[in-house]
Amino acid sequence: MPSFAPSGRRQLHREAKSILTGLAWISPWLLGFLVFLCAPILMSAYYSLTDYALIDKPVFVGLDNYRELASDSLFFVSLRNTLFYAVLSVIGSTALSVSLAILLEQRLRGAALVRSIIFVPTLVPVVANCVTWLWLLNPQYGLVSSILNAIGIHDVNLLGDRTLALPTFAIMGLWVIGSPLLVCSAALKEVPASLYEAADLDGMSPLQVLAPPMIMTRGGPENATLTYSMYVYKTAFEFGRMGYASALAWVQIILTAAIAVVVLVVARRLVYYRGA
Amino acid sequence: MSEDDGQRPSISRRAAMATVSVAAMGGLAAAMWPRTPRSRRSIPPGRTVVDYWEKWTGAEGDAIQHVVDGFNESQNRIWVRRTAISEIDTKAMVAIGGGDPPDVCGVFSYNVAQYAQSAAAIPLSELGRIDTAIYAPAVRDLLCFRGKHIAAVSSLYSLALYYNRAMFREAGLNPDAPPRTISELDAAAEKLTIRDASGAIVRAGLLQNLPSWWPYSWPVMFGGNLYDPQSNAAEFASDATIKAYEWVQSYPRRMGVKETAVFGTAYDRSFHSPQDPFISGRVAMIVQGPWLANFANRYNPALDYAAAPLPVDEAIYNQNEPVGMLEADVLVIPRGAKQPEAAFQFVAYTQTQEVQEQLAREHTKSSPLARCSPAFFDGHANKYVRVHDAITKSPRVQILPQTAVWKSYAHLTEGAFDAAWKGANVREICIAVQQRAQAMMDRDALLRAKREAPTAS
Repeated sequence: MPSFAPSGRRQLHREAKSILTGLAWISPWLLGFLVFLCAPILMSAYYSLTDYALIDKPVFVGLDNYRELASDSLFFVSLRNTLFYAVLSVIGSTALSVSLAILLEQRLRGAALVRSIIFVPTLVPVVANCVTWLWLLNPQYGLVSSILNAIGIHDVNLLGDRTLALPTFAIMGLWVIGSPLLVCSAALKEVPASLYEAADLDGMSPLQVLAPPMIMTRGGPENATLTYSMYVYKTAFEFGRMGYASALAWVQIILTAAIAVVVLVVARRLVYYRGA
Repeated sequence: MSEDDGQRPSISRRAAMATVSVAAMGGLAAAMWPRTPRSRRSIPPGRTVVDYWEKWTGAEGDAIQHVVDGFNESQNRIWVRRTAISEIDTKAMVAIGGGDPPDVCGVFSYNVAQYAQSAAAIPLSELGRIDTAIYAPAVRDLLCFRGKHIAAVSSLYSLALYYNRAMFREAGLNPDAPPRTISELDAAAEKLTIRDASGAIVRAGLLQNLPSWWPYSWPVMFGGNLYDPQSNAAEFASDATIKAYEWVQSYPRRMGVKETAVFGTAYDRSFHSPQDPFISGRVAMIVQGPWLANFANRYNPALDYAAAPLPVDEAIYNQNEPVGMLEADVLVIPRGAKQPEAAFQFVAYTQTQEVQEQLAREHTKSSPLARCSPAFFDGHANKYVRVHDAITKSPRVQILPQTAVWKSYAHLTEGAFDAAWKGANVREICIAVQQRAQAMMDRDALLRAKREAPTAS
């Protein structure tokens, strides 16, 4: 053994000290994680097994809340709406952002300005966006209806028709295409996309997905725009059933995790990562 | 500069740590330094502060602030601090559940049953005495639950038929003889509806989806009920209720499902604004609350309108006993309030005749009290407040079901209303709503029994 090698005990001491120092530095985050994320997750797991209305003491009901899901038509409606919306908006936003990114990479005059203009709606607060869209889509006076009328399509009620309302929200979501466009542009320019992914997450925050149907149609007509997250929120805070809402949230977590696993497995087989 | 250069870093690790520690301690000390919060700076010293959450903003917020100011000036021991809170019933529930509620909370009468059953509100009778005989009988029912006085009233509302007198004249109808029965209402609505050359509705005589806020209110016009408190039974499939929704359905059937839905959606978000369909003359008749007068006075003072009791099915018409649904904004003292006695003093102050009438006048509403002072109606900003007053005091007025699951039940009626509008079978819809509502009530009763059962020691 070389003479400069520290003794095993001293090395252990140094490693322990290093770990403790590291833990001390990340302790604010760690504390926040435990108190604001870990504890609520564990509590929601418990509440999902209870009947709990926030202002009442919880009563243990076992798996009743999960059993109730099987006969809850709104659970299936909101799940179907969310899947439909997700598929439509993911396909739409991917296709549009890739197309626009390729177009903007053609060194056309004014490309930078166009890119900025496309990004601007991302910066508009979601409520202001919704109010603007409510006017644009007003079936009597809205710009969109006027255009449709001019081309001979009359009495189209984009937000009031149960078959059109959700596709309308998916198309409306393309209004905030700026962030995915940035990621696609970065990929085309070979800039590490991870640098832009945070912006993408900001651009499509849960609030932006949940808020428009909540603000514009309140889940109607006939629950056609009731999304899963909205149903969880309504169940917890409007109907006062925190226990059942927790069960809904846990099903959402399990479904999301299952989809994530499928995506990862498929991506591992089909996606080529340069430099990996 | 890196250590690889063979030079010492310009700041040692120890010095950096010391600087960070001193800065952190300084920040902590500054944060903990005793000082008067901004919200308390205007409070006279020595007063007990009562935190009061209320939903109103704008003119309605100003009106309740006048009440708060009046109380703060009337004595020198308590200071009420009002905070305007949106979605107050949800936030109050979170605050009560979290153990940090305000001292007084302005929620809705449909919250009373849930708050009472969950012991989330302190019964007012435990804190002092407010004579419930001062209230109109139906108002008393709104505020009490199983004999306990849970809430005090802040403002009261019933629905009435508001109609445009000028449009009545134009259509050859007598503006002094509003429709009293359903058949008169239908005939007037037909005459008042105007379409353009393409068949699109330019002006609707009446549309029940404008506003779509009370999908559960129509059965009352046919003598139907929503709930039987004696047997804790949902009543949504009675003949009267089915008849009511068949009547609702007759409008889109006659005027076009698509056309009426387009018209309804166009104005769904315009209420209480200059674009309000009634205030802007897009509908000739509307079922609305007394607050409409406030917005009409503000946005279109020249609007020539009047109000009348809700028209009813011919079989139940009685001129002296108008029907209607009564709801109220109420004050509760939540469990966990820090100053319940002081909060009660404020709540008791708001229940005096003078304060109630002042607030009702500013909100253009009727008084919840059994007796009104002679001056109350003189110069009232709602010229038709007597219509609402008659509904309040009518023996046939109804209140919303006093059950903890009312919000879920109401949500079912929204879906039923939409489905009926689109032409679904009304009987089937009503039966489905009744069954689901009953299942929710039974489940709630079962769990409540479980919750209230004494635990084995």
